[in-house]
Amino acid sequence: MTGFLDRLTVGPVLFDGAMGSMLLTAGLELGAAPEVWNVERPEVIKKIHHDYLAAGAEVLTTNTFGGTPLKLAAHGLAERCEELNFAGVRLAMAARAEFPDRGAFIAGDIGPCGKFFSPVGDLDQKSAAASVQTQVEIFAAAGVDFFLIETMVDLREAEIAVRTARQSSDIPVVVTMTFDKKWRGYFTIMGDKPSAAVRRLSDAGADVVGANCTLAAPDMIELARILVADSPLPILIQPNAGQPEMFDGQAVYRVTPEEFAVDIKKILDTGVAAVGGCCGTTPEHIRAVAEHMHHGNVAGKTQVS
Amino acid sequence: MTDLLNDCREAVLKGDRSFAEDLARRVLGENADPLKTIEEGFVPGLREAGRLWDEGELFLPELVLAAEAMKAATVILQPALEKRGEARKVRGRVVIGTIEGDIHDIGKTLVATMLSANGYETRDLGADVPVQKFVDEAESFDADFICISALLTTTMGGQKKVIEALKERSLREMYRVLVGGAPCSEKWAAQIGADGYAGDAVSTVQLAESFST
Repeated sequence: MTGFLDRLTVGPVLFDGAMGSMLLTAGLELGAAPEVWNVERPEVIKKIHHDYLAAGAEVLTTNTFGGTPLKLAAHGLAERCEELNFAGVRLAMAARAEFPDRGAFIAGDIGPCGKFFSPVGDLDQKSAAASVQTQVEIFAAAGVDFFLIETMVDLREAEIAVRTARQSSDIPVVVTMTFDKKWRGYFTIMGDKPSAAVRRLSDAGADVVGANCTLAAPDMIELARILVADSPLPILIQPNAGQPEMFDGQAVYRVTPEEFAVDIKKILDTGVAAVGGCCGTTPEHIRAVAEHMHHGNVAGKTQVS
Repeated sequence: MTDLLNDCREAVLKGDRSFAEDLARRVLGENADPLKTIEEGFVPGLREAGRLWDEGELFLPELVLAAEAMKAATVILQPALEKRGEARKVRGRVVIGTIEGDIHDIGKTLVATMLSANGYETRDLGADVPVQKFVDEAESFDADFICISALLTTTMGGQKKVIEALKERSLREMYRVLVGGAPCSEKWAAQIGADGYAGDAVSTVQLAESFST
């Protein structure tokens, strides 16, 4: 099987869509740790992976976003770190085994640890690194194809995560941060700019950098353009299906699969190497994107001449 | 005094805690007016920081540093205030927390810090706070405001439960209930019968003030 980085050189790669919002729809409740379902409701997780593959995704993201020991500790689940992360990787692999000819990749998902560095919080670098290290070692043993460090809001935490992953194994490292749009440009809530993120994360050893979550599609297209211009590395972009609107206490994402595919086409036109979906996207959104990509409706190397 | 007040404003705006503390000690040494120093020096600095945050000029770390500089200076001036038999005008009493099932702390803590820096007595109940605890603490603290944060679409229903619990005990009219957090909105606040919605720390202060005046 081709390695993930080799695959990126051939043409744009389609990631899967959301896991968290899918789980909420499936009945995950009241702030519970989604990772618990890797053990308690494995059939739900596997079905979501299965549906994304069936829709045309080439990458399955494990249900381990909150699986660092620090984040699990907030739910009193730190001692189940190994069990929950292993189970998460196994479920993605089980779904992949149902599509043996597709050569899909498994991304070991690593989210923010939920604590903050001074002055916002009292997180120290050692604890941040140790927390990522634990999850990364489990993923390496379980056999993921690459690490996906995502939705980072503090460049310092992202850097530490990338460096830790890079030093722990030869497995590729993909990292995305989440930016807001301010009148002066794009910034994380900590004030990190895209250009600084690209520079420092590539110095830390990332193979792919990018942005996900928060921004609506028109802003994400503009941000993709900035990242592509600034970055020596391939870019991954994963927007939400629009901004959530509340309806009867439920979050509703109003961007339809077809609209999402049109937005993603524009993002691909900026020259990014990979796309996928964040909050509110479903297998139907990914299917619509896959259809656009495979019918040659997108620019780049997949275009049919 | 004007120079001193300007320095106080700058110290907070720059988030320079040790400078703010030095200035507070100078006020004590020179026997200057501690209340005036707070109200016309440190507070305007924090308000300016809040305004710049609103505009995307400052970010979370800078705002936290500004609030901490302000707090540190106030702690030093507090004994002098009491000795003079003065006190900062308490604009209101606030019970604040993140609703049960929700462990997100950061936004709520920032709101609490900004409220207390702006003259509100706040009792921060932390995160994952049971519905009943909001009601009990509001009673025992003799609160004017109950501020409930929810960062998850799955936990925001708890905000409604607090309001229902207040109604059950015929306490609803005793408090202004303000809600906030990523999934909340004006519409949501209206829907559940809250008194208001605020999207961030700065607008929470503005919202609270709109009720006080």
